Parts: sequence; C-alpha cells; structure tokens
Amino acid sequence: MVELGLNVPALISYLINYVVLLILLGALAYRPLLNALDSRVDSIRESLAAADRAREEAATSRSAIEEELNEARREGQRLLDQAREAAERFREEEMERARQSAEEFSERARADIARERDAAVSEVRAAFGDLAISAAERIIRRSVDRQAHQDLIDQVLAEGEQALRRN
Amino acid sequence: MTTKRVLLLIGIVSAVLLIVGFVVGAVGSRMFGLERPFVSQPGIHLPPDPVFPAAVRESVVGYRVADKKTDDHGEAKSGQDAADDKEHADEEHHGLGIMQFAVTNTMLSAWLTSVVMLVFFIGGARNPKVIPSRLQALVEMLFELVLNFASSILGPEMGRRAFPVVATIFFFVLFNAWIAIFLIPIYQAVGYGANVGGEFKLATHLVRPAGTDLNFPLALALVSFVFVEYWGFRAHGFGYLKKFFAFGDLLRGRPSGLINIFVGILELVSELVRIVSFTFRLFGNMTAGEILVVMITFLVPFIATQFVFGLELLVGLIQSVIFAGLTLVFLSVAVSHEEH
Repeated sequence: MVELGLNVPALISYLINYVVLLILLGALAYRPLLNALDSRVDSIRESLAAADRAREEAATSRSAIEEELNEARREGQRLLDQAREAAERFREEEMERARQSAEEFSERARADIARERDAAVSEVRAAFGDLAISAAERIIRRSVDRQAHQDLIDQVLAEGEQALRRN
Repeated sequence: MTTKRVLLLIGIVSAVLLIVGFVVGAVGSRMFGLERPFVSQPGIHLPPDPVFPAAVRESVVGYRVADKKTDDHGEAKSGQDAADDKEHADEEHHGLGIMQFAVTNTMLSAWLTSVVMLVFFIGGARNPKVIPSRLQALVEMLFELVLNFASSILGPEMGRRAFPVVATIFFFVLFNAWIAIFLIPIYQAVGYGANVGGEFKLATHLVRPAGTDLNFPLALALVSFVFVEYWGFRAHGFGYLKKFFAFGDLLRGRPSGLINIFVGILELVSELVRIVSFTFRLFGNMTAGEILVVMITFLVPFIATQFVFGLELLVGLIQSVIFAGLTLVFLSVAVSHEEH
C-alpha cells in the first residue's frame, strides 16, 4: 500500500480538509442558500394562493356587483312602475275630479237654466196674463170682475203651460 | 473574417498540429528516425510527490532523478536490461513512509480546489436575493440538482439532512477532477526542476490532481462509511448491529439461523469492502485518466490530448455522481434495512 502512496498524515489532512470544507460550506453556502430557496418557495406558494384568493374575490365581487346591478335595475323598474301607477292614479283622479266638476257645473247650469226658464215662464206668464187681460178688455170692451178674469186667465195659462210641456 | 473562415483556420491549425505532433511524438520519431521524441518518456509515480519541506522533496525527487539518469543512459541498453532496471526501481520505494508527514502536490491541489469551491459557493450564496444574480442562479441550480438527486433516493426529509455531506463529497470530487483540466498549464508545467543528464527538466509538479492520491479517495470513502453507519445507528439504535450479527434465530433453536449468521457476516464484509471499492474506483479512474493524458502527450503531443481532456471531464463528472450516488444508496439501505 505504501507503494500506492498510502500515507496516514496525508489521509488525516484530507479528512480535516473535508470537514473544514463541510463546516464552512454548510454555514456559509448551503444553509443560507437553501433557506433562501425555501423562503422563495414559500413566497411563490403564498403568491399563488394570494392570486387564487384575488381571483376568487374578483369573481365573487363581480357576481355581487351583477347582483347589485340587477337589484338596482329591479328597484328602478319598481320605482318606474310606482311612478307610472301614481301618474295613472293621479290622471284618473284628475279625470274624475274634472268629470265631477263638469257634472257639477252642468248641474248648476241646468239648475240655472231651469230657474231662468221658470223665471222667464213666470215673467211670460205674468206678461201674458196682463197682455191677455188687456187683450180681453180690449176685445170684450166690457168691464168684468177682475177676480173672475184672473181665474179664467190662470186656467187658460195652465192649459197653455200643459200644452207647452207636451210640446 | 466570418465564423466559417475562423473555424476553417482552427481546423487547419489543428490538423497541422496533429500531424506535427504525430511526427515529433514517440511513435513518429521512431518511424522517421528522429534523434529523440519531443516529449521525453514520462515516469509514472503513483505516490504523490512531497513539495514541502524542501528537504523531503529533495530526498524523494533526488532518488527519482538518479533513476532517470540511469534510464536516460539506458538507450544503449538492450530491452532486457531496461526491463531489469524497471523491475529494480519498482522494488525500491523512495516515496514517503506511511507515517512521514510532508505537504504533497496532491494536498496542494486539494487546498487549491477547496479555496476555489469556497470562493465560488460562498460568493454565490452570500446575501441571496429573491431575483438571483447569475452566480447565485448557477450555485442554486447546482445545489438543487444535488438536493433533488438526494431527495429522489432518500425522500425529501432525509435527502435534506444528507445534502451537506453528500454535496460536499460530490463537489469536492468534481472540482478536484475539473480544476486539473481547466488549469492544465499550471498542473502540467509548474513544478520543481532538476538536472537530469546535464539537462534541466521538470522533476516534480507543484500541483497534481488530488484524485490520483490514494489518500484522497480513501478519506472520502471513510467519511461516506462513517456517515452511513452513523445514520444506521441513529435510525435503528444498537438494533442496527443485528444486520451483521444475526444470532437471534440460532439462539431460538432454529437451524436456519446458521444461514442468517452467514448472511450477516457477508453483510459485514461487504460493508467494509465498500471503503476499498470506493477508494480504488475513484483512485483508479483518476489515475488512469492522468496516465492517459501523460501517455498521449508522450505519443502524440499538442492537439491529440484535447480529446482526452473532454473524456476526463466526463469521467470526473461520472465519478463524482457515482461517489455521491452510492453514498446515498448505502445510506438509504442503512436507514431502511429492517423493512426488507
């Protein structure tokens, strides 16, 4: 073995060399770099998880926004319907009110007309009575009992009024 | 100049270097009757050369130079005489004694590799950022490769625990092999000279790949062995020894217990033989690669060695993967052997 170069001090020297190399590399190269690799793996894993979370949150918020938009759309539609209904109701009420006032006005007008007509009829009747009396006085040329005449005239007028109503 | 022309020029220069290298190399010089090859015949010395202290170096290299002088003068000798000389040189060992201390050129290479590794890895791992620099990204990639390799065999948790030991083995073997190739001018040309036959020549290299020193793979094999056994005991307590000393069945009066004892002894032997197999696998591959480079340089100098360097890059990678992978597999077996 000596011919092959076996030498105990050299062997120990290589062993020490290896151990020193192992300690120095372990402390100054392996550990820091493997720790850095681990932390990088962790950060990549966390980033991927965060990206997944963000994607899920984005999907959730999009559906929430869509839901809110739909809600808003429904609310708008509801408000529009309410407004339309209110307008319709208001229109109907106004129409009713207008119809009522028109009817009231019409009633009043009818009553006024009836009153005016009655007044006119009374006036006509009075005038016609006077006219008839004077005409009768002038026709008969004689003096008659005024009361009797008046009764006669009322009778005539009553007949005449009936005849008018029939017409 | 277009890329095509540059490539063509490189191709022509390479071809010329290859032809010239063949002509002036050992084979060509003999074929064409040249006086001596461009590169002198290399001597293969398996033990590493001491570099410091100078007295030990002078002592060891001095013996070798003396042998070399004999070899150089041996041109006039017959082939039989040369073989006798070689045999004689092998009989006498002039290297370090088994307990003799000296800083060898392979140790220097291991220290150089360690410094390069520390600068490279600590430089890449210092102040790690979320968005890494190029160096950090490269170091991260290498760590992740080894970590994934360990995790694929041992599972994530145990793989992470075994990572520092296995990664240091892997990178130490890999960097040792590759630095010798990337810094080939320093490894091949820098060293101590000596006067050989009136000519000043490189007698010993200042640095030599640590993988070619038997002590280096042996140290790593011992680390791997101790690591595996430590985890075996940690996982199973002293029950781990039952794997090797399976007397339980025999004590209960079952004859099949004899087989278990035999299997246990086999396990024990195979456990110890791992150290040898680890050591000589790496030592053999690295040394063979080095010898191949030296021999190709001797036979066909200049360009032909480039192909061998490519091969050596691959061999360095494969050996480091095998060393780390086998450590992981043995660790996996040690931790989970009771499940079988």
